[in-house]
Amino acid sequence: MADKTVQLEIKRQASPEAPEMWEKFELAWRPGMNVISAMMEIAANPVTAEGHQTTPIAYDSNCLEEICGSCAMRINGRARMACSSLVENLEQPIRVEPLSKFPLVRDLQVDRSVLFENLKAVKAWVPVDGTYDLGSGPRVFPQQQEANYPLSNCISCTCCMEVCPQFNPATGFVGAATIAQVKLFNNHPTGKVFKEERLRALAGDGGIQECGYAQNCVEACPKQIPLTNAISDIGRDVMVQKVKDWLRG
Amino acid sequence: MATIQQPAAHTVRRGVQPLRAGEGNSYVWHKLHSLLGIIPIGAFLIEHLISNFQALGGPVAYGKTVEFLNSLPMVHVLEWVFIFIPILYHGIYGLYIWLRGKSNVVYYPWSGNWLYLTQRYTGIIAFAFIIQHVIMERFMGVSLHDHPGAAFYKMQQTLANPWMVAIYVIGMLAACWHFSYGVWLFAAKWGITPGTRSRRRFGFVCVAGGVLLAVLGLGSIWAFVGPKYANAPQNVPISYLNAPAHTGAPV
Amino acid sequence: MAAPRIIVIGGGLAGLSAVIKIAEAGGTVDLFSIVPVKRSHSVCAQGGINAAKNLKGEGDTTWQHFDDTIYGGDFLANQTPVKGMCEAAPAVIDLLDRMGVPFNRTPEGLLDFRRFGGTLYHRTAFAGATTGQQLLYALDEQVRRHESEGKVRKYEGWEFLSAVIDSQGVARGITAMDLRSMELRSFPADAIILATGGVGAIFGKSTNSVVCTGSAQSAIFQQGAYYANGEFIQVHPTSIPGEDKLRLMSESARGEGGRVWVPRAAGDKRPVKQIPQSERFYFLEEWYPKYGNLVPRDVATRAIHKVVYELGLGLEGQPMVYLDLTHIDRATLDHKLGGILEIYEKFVGVDPHLEPMKIFPGMHYTMGGLWVDFNQMTNIPGIFAAGECEYQYHGANRLGANSLLSCIYGGFHAGPNALNYAKGLQPAEGDGGAAAELARQAEINASLLHSEGTENPFRLWRELGKTTTEHATVLRYNKGLKQADEKIQDLLDRYKKINLSDKSQWANTSFAFTRQLYNMLQLSRVVVLGALLRDESRGAHFKPDFPERNDEKFLKTTKASFTGDVAGPRFEYEEVDTQYIKPRPRRYDAAK
Repeated sequence: MADKTVQLEIKRQASPEAPEMWEKFELAWRPGMNVISAMMEIAANPVTAEGHQTTPIAYDSNCLEEICGSCAMRINGRARMACSSLVENLEQPIRVEPLSKFPLVRDLQVDRSVLFENLKAVKAWVPVDGTYDLGSGPRVFPQQQEANYPLSNCISCTCCMEVCPQFNPATGFVGAATIAQVKLFNNHPTGKVFKEERLRALAGDGGIQECGYAQNCVEACPKQIPLTNAISDIGRDVMVQKVKDWLRG
Repeated sequence: MATIQQPAAHTVRRGVQPLRAGEGNSYVWHKLHSLLGIIPIGAFLIEHLISNFQALGGPVAYGKTVEFLNSLPMVHVLEWVFIFIPILYHGIYGLYIWLRGKSNVVYYPWSGNWLYLTQRYTGIIAFAFIIQHVIMERFMGVSLHDHPGAAFYKMQQTLANPWMVAIYVIGMLAACWHFSYGVWLFAAKWGITPGTRSRRRFGFVCVAGGVLLAVLGLGSIWAFVGPKYANAPQNVPISYLNAPAHTGAPV
Repeated sequence: MAAPRIIVIGGGLAGLSAVIKIAEAGGTVDLFSIVPVKRSHSVCAQGGINAAKNLKGEGDTTWQHFDDTIYGGDFLANQTPVKGMCEAAPAVIDLLDRMGVPFNRTPEGLLDFRRFGGTLYHRTAFAGATTGQQLLYALDEQVRRHESEGKVRKYEGWEFLSAVIDSQGVARGITAMDLRSMELRSFPADAIILATGGVGAIFGKSTNSVVCTGSAQSAIFQQGAYYANGEFIQVHPTSIPGEDKLRLMSESARGEGGRVWVPRAAGDKRPVKQIPQSERFYFLEEWYPKYGNLVPRDVATRAIHKVVYELGLGLEGQPMVYLDLTHIDRATLDHKLGGILEIYEKFVGVDPHLEPMKIFPGMHYTMGGLWVDFNQMTNIPGIFAAGECEYQYHGANRLGANSLLSCIYGGFHAGPNALNYAKGLQPAEGDGGAAAELARQAEINASLLHSEGTENPFRLWRELGKTTTEHATVLRYNKGLKQADEKIQDLLDRYKKINLSDKSQWANTSFAFTRQLYNMLQLSRVVVLGALLRDESRGAHFKPDFPERNDEKFLKTTKASFTGDVAGPRFEYEEVDTQYIKPRPRRYDAAK
């Protein structure tokens, strides 16, 4: 097996204005290899399959344990985390492209800051009075903890947004991740103080109504977060809130 | 603060914009679209398919149904307010929704994603079909309001063209599909079926309902094209429709 | 006088904790981070956070926690700050709880606690097996709140390069580089807090994230800050060996009952399930009956090392041993360890519910770091440090689940102290040296871009990692350490002939990496030479040629300072504060 190789095709773009191009690479295969380790290999020896010198590939990555959410990219067409994309599970040549729904920076790097802006827009935090010692927090029963913990596992990788047919500049859809965070904070005994505000925020343009329920989000989520359940629950809550607001005038 | 500028800085393009928290009215328009699909459009679809199913009973039975509907108070107002305007809104706004979505089943061939796509195609097919159907049968040819007994013959003439049969079958199936999946979507998005299991179970209900509606629809098409009433009369007089317990052949 | 401006560098737990305290006290903060702060390395911490809340009726106290920490750290830590940390811990947990961290709960709705290494108490609060992630998110959310109120300005995607230090030796700001536009810029500040995490990258592969290069600490060190106890590097006993990194397998796996073993017969070829209990060698349990699988990390690591390299009992002759959870029921595992078991299954392709995991020690944490006083300030006035990048809380070996605590406590301490310091600061003369420092950084950039050599930075880095891992991790020999230092000097020489295959000025990640590499090389000398000079064994620092602890000579903090000479940093030693607990022998094979 010494001469087993891995073939990659990587979409390159030197800057937002530069033309796109594909480069092919052929690397020696090693057990347990993933897409990031392949790109590390390229950085140490930046030569294409045709033997041309090239530049190391620009990509975001950090933890390599699928918990920091940095390395989302499209691999063989599908949005996923590059660190957990094991080479042996992928059809070759492995085609690697940047996420398509976010502004490109360079090569596989994109700007995903819109998610963090969305989290601000829905006040995705628990408004504690202060960080001084105020005694223990509210009681939370294990059942509630078990319901909230999966939502709190969102790594902000934006895969759910990338795969969503409704997430695009025309709709300005907020995406499943933010909706799930609204559910998380509305469930929290203290976080729910902003419940109504969050629900109203989600009824704004680009809000929850733009969801087409294609359910791609829940399929693509690397953390198996119950996103569609969150959309349904929050969809109902937003509706109830809007009706209440309307009745109250 | 001091800076050292680099030459020819690039700019990153604007991407999808953040949520406009609480701003705008698109929520109301979206939800109106969603609601109208169920009530009154969906309700009317069910009523219409059941009424049409009466065609299997022949020209007289069908004429009677039409006449009953005609007898509803302010029927012209009702049909505009509860049928034509809602359908126009639902169809046009639906097109707007469609144009803003970007399907990606090529990369993500998952069932929900396929259904997302088919909901758009069945919607446009049903909408086009309904427009031609209303123009041809409601606003052109003999007025069924004045001559309910002519309903059967009018349809039969339309469906004498095999192309029209194909169009009706396709339009009918598209409408049934669009409606039954639409009900499922409505329940999912309005939080009536918030759990994975409840959505799956309700999915079976919607499939069963959709199949039932399709059977009703196809059955009524069969009534017009089948051999049984091949020689239906051009018109059944109103007096005849109103005659009690009549069993004989038309005049 | 204008409100003080504080710069915080690093958006992990320590940095965010500092930011929150400053924002709350009315200060304004510029927060710099290479990655979006929510992607900082703290997210990787798994097992939990320690606090002697004593909710299990075991009679646990903050004093016990303090004693365990000092004892676990082999008495090298200054006791005053550690005592403060352990006493503050219960309130820290309460605060995190109030912020919405989804800690696991007891049926009554109270916090649940698990056992961790180096203690006999259930003292570790946890949120599944992704506690670091949950803690980081809670703080990230609070910072986002302050950001939306205009108290915090984030510079995500900016890399800290150096401090701006005026002619009086006082810090006046920083220089940083935008990793997208590659723009160099100086930012004025009245005080700076470094919270830049670990140094894993100088060991090539480690359990650390890609950004944990130690570059920022090294830059400050090269500007005159002391670096303390650099030689104390924790090697985590249970990591998953990988091509690109060593993935952590949390200590909580053992805390929840996981058992470490190898077949008694070398090269046993039977499938693992067919090896009967009597033929399994549970070496930690046999050698350390009191603590069993929950001995501190340095002890477990050396035991695994011994089993593999001395006894030749590694699985199939490979450097690996079993970490077995298969005797625990699935529901418990998923409930308490779900996240990490999923990682193992994803990256190895084997379900740890059904088959024991194969693990091996991997470089994990640096106990050493920037020297700071009890107020978290380095010897450069105005530069503070908190979190893994400083040395203060863990002595010669860190106990599991104390790192998250030390990060948050350190940040909570550094923030207000920095603000107080800044309030009393006299204004800088002129620009405080900003223009000169910026020019120096621009020159470094220019010389790198114009370098026409043959060396590839990534290959130099690999060589560095290979040599540090070989000579400066589990077992240290003076001969090897000398070799390692020679190798590093050689690499520093070769660095001058570096050739950047990418010379562009837009999002040039390899350029940024090459800058970090220089700092990594400088810092690795501190680690290696510090280890060379410490002829004893203490905590994680183990020399087979000097197997005993030598309090007379080495119960001292190592302080390295940069000289710029080929001979390397200058080392001096400082007395350790041992006023509360008298040093005693550290043994885990019996009660302490």
